[in-house]
Amino acid sequence: MTGRCGVVVAHGRLGEGLLSALTRVAGVQDNLWAVSNDELDTESLMAEIESLLAERGAGREAILFSDLDGGSCCQACRRLLGRDSVRAVFYGVNLPLMIEFVFLQDLPFDQFSAALLTKSRGALGVHS
Amino acid sequence: MSGVLFRVDERLIHGQVVVGWGRRLHPDRIVVVSDDLSRQPVEQDIYRTGLPASIKAVFWNFSEAVDGLPALLDSGKSIIVLTEDLDTMLRLASAAVTIEEVNVGGLFAGEGRTRLLPYVWFDAEDEERVRELEALGVRVVAQDVPTTAPVRLRERVG
Repeated sequence: MTGRCGVVVAHGRLGEGLLSALTRVAGVQDNLWAVSNDELDTESLMAEIESLLAERGAGREAILFSDLDGGSCCQACRRLLGRDSVRAVFYGVNLPLMIEFVFLQDLPFDQFSAALLTKSRGALGVHS
Repeated sequence: MSGVLFRVDERLIHGQVVVGWGRRLHPDRIVVVSDDLSRQPVEQDIYRTGLPASIKAVFWNFSEAVDGLPALLDSGKSIIVLTEDLDTMLRLASAAVTIEEVNVGGLFAGEGRTRLLPYVWFDAEDEERVRELEALGVRVVAQDVPTTAPVRLRERVG
């Protein structure tokens, strides 16, 4: 068991889809889960994330990944910072970011955080 | 397109409001009417995260809203007014704030509430507030984002 776990908290089926894509390129991950805000207000969404971490987090440091900064998913995540072992909230989640989580998850937090941001930002571009 | 949107949404400022309605209406200002939040600057900062620089968000208590909204509405600016519940919106309409239409964008599951739409759950009080708003001449529609068809709620609550 690794020292970190992660939850993708996103609109619609983005989280589920992202983890499905991640499985295709990096294999099945037993420490990553997805939560959608469909039909949930912010408090219910927070309760869902907390319940998931209580059931499966096993006390590991939790990293939350959200889609839109300022969106309701991200707001729920920010309100959980510092609670239930939630260490950080990354927003603007994309597949490259999740791939880096898989491969860099055991780094000390500062290195881990900086590397995830650098690599996922660097993965955004255009071919034209 | 510019205009005024009065919206009831428990999530207040979030993606559907900023991206969905924001890019349709290009609001200059978002006014959140909430006695609680008007006293909570840290919570206000969380709600302001992700807002583009062109949109200013203010958090007014009810009496500030009654005082401040008429002039803001007369200014011709594009504005989004948000409340967490139908009751606050009804009180604004009853306090002579001119509201033609109320958009219900997010009232979620809770004790005594039943599901009308995936994002609209009402209890008996919510239904009564819709009747009262309609009696004041305010149309009440459910519409989460501009691209979905509006649903007139008067017909759903009887």
